[in-house]
Amino acid sequence: MSKASFVVRRLLQLGVTFWAVGTVLFFLFRLMPGDPTAFVVSAQMTPEARQQVIESYGLNEPLYIQYVRFLENALTLNFGQSFHTNQPVREVIWTYLPNTLVLMLSAFVVAYILGIVLGVLTGWYRGSRFEKTTVVTALTARSLPTFYVGLIVLWLFGAGLGVIPMSGMGTAGQSYDSFWARIFTLDFLHHLVAPAAVLAFYYMGYPLLIMRSSMMEVLSQDFIDVCRAKGLSERAIMFKHAARNALLPIITAAAIALGYAVGGSVLIETVFGWPGLGREMVNAVLRRDFPVAQGTFMVLAATIIILNFIADLLYGYLDPRVTYD
Amino acid sequence: MTNKATTNRRSFLNKAGATAGLVGLTMTAGCFGAGDDDENGGANVEATDPDMLDEQLPTYQFLNNAQSYNPPRHDAINLMADQFGRIGLDMEVEVLEWGTLFNRVDVEYDYDFSLWHTFFTIDPVLELNSTMYSENTEPGQGNFAGYENPDADDLMDQYLEEPDADTRIDLVHDLQRTLMEDLPQMPVIDMPFLAVYNNEQVDNWEADLPHGFNSYWTMINLEMQGGEDTLKGYWPEALDTMNVLGHNDENKHTYNFVVIYDTLVRLDNEGEIDTDVSLATDYERVDATTMEYTIRDHTFHDGEPLTVEDIAFSYNYISENEVPVYSVQSNFIDEAEVVDDSTVRIHMPDDNPLGPFNLLVGTQIPILPEHRWADRDEPSQVNVEEPVGSGPLQFDYWDQGAELGLERFDDHFAPVDFEQRFWRIIPETSTVWENLRNGDLNYEPFGRIDRPLDENRDEDQISVQSVPATSFWHCTPNQRSDGLDDPEVRKAVFNAVPRSAIVDQILFGVPDPGFNVVTEAFGPLHTDDVTQYEEGVDIAIERLQDGGYGYDENGMLHFLVE
Repeated sequence: MSKASFVVRRLLQLGVTFWAVGTVLFFLFRLMPGDPTAFVVSAQMTPEARQQVIESYGLNEPLYIQYVRFLENALTLNFGQSFHTNQPVREVIWTYLPNTLVLMLSAFVVAYILGIVLGVLTGWYRGSRFEKTTVVTALTARSLPTFYVGLIVLWLFGAGLGVIPMSGMGTAGQSYDSFWARIFTLDFLHHLVAPAAVLAFYYMGYPLLIMRSSMMEVLSQDFIDVCRAKGLSERAIMFKHAARNALLPIITAAAIALGYAVGGSVLIETVFGWPGLGREMVNAVLRRDFPVAQGTFMVLAATIIILNFIADLLYGYLDPRVTYD
Repeated sequence: MTNKATTNRRSFLNKAGATAGLVGLTMTAGCFGAGDDDENGGANVEATDPDMLDEQLPTYQFLNNAQSYNPPRHDAINLMADQFGRIGLDMEVEVLEWGTLFNRVDVEYDYDFSLWHTFFTIDPVLELNSTMYSENTEPGQGNFAGYENPDADDLMDQYLEEPDADTRIDLVHDLQRTLMEDLPQMPVIDMPFLAVYNNEQVDNWEADLPHGFNSYWTMINLEMQGGEDTLKGYWPEALDTMNVLGHNDENKHTYNFVVIYDTLVRLDNEGEIDTDVSLATDYERVDATTMEYTIRDHTFHDGEPLTVEDIAFSYNYISENEVPVYSVQSNFIDEAEVVDDSTVRIHMPDDNPLGPFNLLVGTQIPILPEHRWADRDEPSQVNVEEPVGSGPLQFDYWDQGAELGLERFDDHFAPVDFEQRFWRIIPETSTVWENLRNGDLNYEPFGRIDRPLDENRDEDQISVQSVPATSFWHCTPNQRSDGLDDPEVRKAVFNAVPRSAIVDQILFGVPDPGFNVVTEAFGPLHTDDVTQYEEGVDIAIERLQDGGYGYDENGMLHFLVE
């Protein structure tokens, strides 16, 4: 199969996957117990006013009509209007997504750089005390609940030493004209450090362990002996030849992790008072704000699916032995 | 749970008359049905002659919220169901998420017992009318208890139409006596308004009737301390909207809109209309269906003058557009009419005059700038980014999901003492308390009664002020269920509610046990002269035996053969 055919076939599969995800989300939320209007109506409203609210959200329509309308709108990336904020879902997502991305990407970049470097070193120095200590640390970081680590960090460095802020993305009482105006400030970086570090500590273990295993496999191959026979330095063998070849599995792992990163980390966002998409997604589900819940989950699913697709394409580019059968 | 706590609870329940063996609070805080094990099920009482016993009372479902949603209420319901089991009722506790719970009770009426926390607005009868009026018993109409009493209906009708305040007081006192004798709702706890604040930065907290410590009255009377010029609060969840006509009446919204927008009249902390802090400098009832207001010179936050046209527009616009959050008030607005440059008249429908118009409508309808709203067709659906009102605080910024900033409106006729007020969204309770202690926050608008409050209230820089509020926890039996339609059963159930134990063990002794559906926060509208119900399982059992019920050998309650 040619590369073009592969791409076309995968794009068709993507379309079917999006439809399936959208359908499952639509019906899943409506199968959940609870009345979505319970959070919107007020005890002060008359029964007529309550009915008016229900009708304004289209919830009085039969389910199949709601479903058809949802599909029609989804084709144009219109996920409707939030039951709670009356904003288009796109706006809600754009309000919270950048906050999440800047936190998650910061953590992600730090975690993957550290994870890859430490993975290379632990693979290279396997059996050493350094390897054992690093692996145990990575496994511990991966096993500890992030909210617990977050609370400890807040307690120690926030309440105790007073070197990190207790919550939010900036000092309270300050406003900024735009997201970009905010994130290029020292105040923002000060607020970013703790949640990003906690997340990086957690995420670091995954690339580290994958890279270590991959390095061990690569180091057992003949070309490493050839490199040594050619008189290359150990550092050159480690980073130029072994590490490069060991990187391939990291790509898939990174693509999936990056996809999840879009969904944010609900617990870290809650502990550090970070107004991100993860917290908003959970709130939307808990408050039965169907349009926002559907929209955010669709964005999350789409990101993961598309990044996987890109990872598949990159595989072929980075390793010519990979075919598109 | 420690032995000490279990022992304390034991002594409380014994004091309340619980005679059977007790399980620890840890167990009651779980999700078991009170009738599910031998220790809980049945009264410790001598069995009635089996020949006299008819059918056992049905199994009753007490619907409970999840522990994570509202821990104290969750624990209280389990405790109450446990006690109801001890008077011979077969109880099941069903834990539901909030949306389902609300639907089952308030919409479908598919429940036997519920425990609600109800906030009354400034007049109790309108609320009681919604939940107690005999004609409101169809699903979705509000009377979820299914209570029907023509005498109570008549008192409510008279009250709502009565223009004379003194006569209204007599009527509402009669209504309280009627309701507390019939017990369609059992007032379990009188929940207070709480002001929790950092006394090194702010002081002089005074509550008013409708909004407690988050009122306009509070804001204009606050005194900043130690050179602080910012009032710093928090809320655990994001605000939904800046649209004063598009919110769902949750406190997190009303507490902000009440200071951004003026209303025709405002109340002082005694619940009386204070024209010094109101848009209207004078008012009078022209006839049974017409109110007339004289308006002061004032401007909106954007500098445009606030005119009588704006006031007439606000009333007509909200009424004509059937804005859901003001649907109750709209029922009492026929038309607003400009009389002259400083006078406006509000006409009520001829067939629906309202006695306490100022309380129920005049203090509630926000005055909108016509030049901003006139072109908006669906006011409740509008996405307002920068609200413009005329209140003592004006919009500064809204970092959605993170923070709302308001600043002092210097041209207001009753300005506040601080320059800025912000609310930061902080979901994590321990962070809130750390911030309160160190001064990064200086007040807690939420007033939540929980363990961190109990642990921190003795700190030097933390002050906690508590005043009676217009809200209460009420246990409401569904009177469509067999047995619960009998007032004697309801009274016995109320006797069995361990109100003191709930206050002391679950709510850290902060609120008071409830005894009336109209709390003392309502001042002259409230009366102590209602039937009082002593706490105690033994008293409840005796009442049931006297009231025509008997017990089988397992201690379960039966109807008697007629």
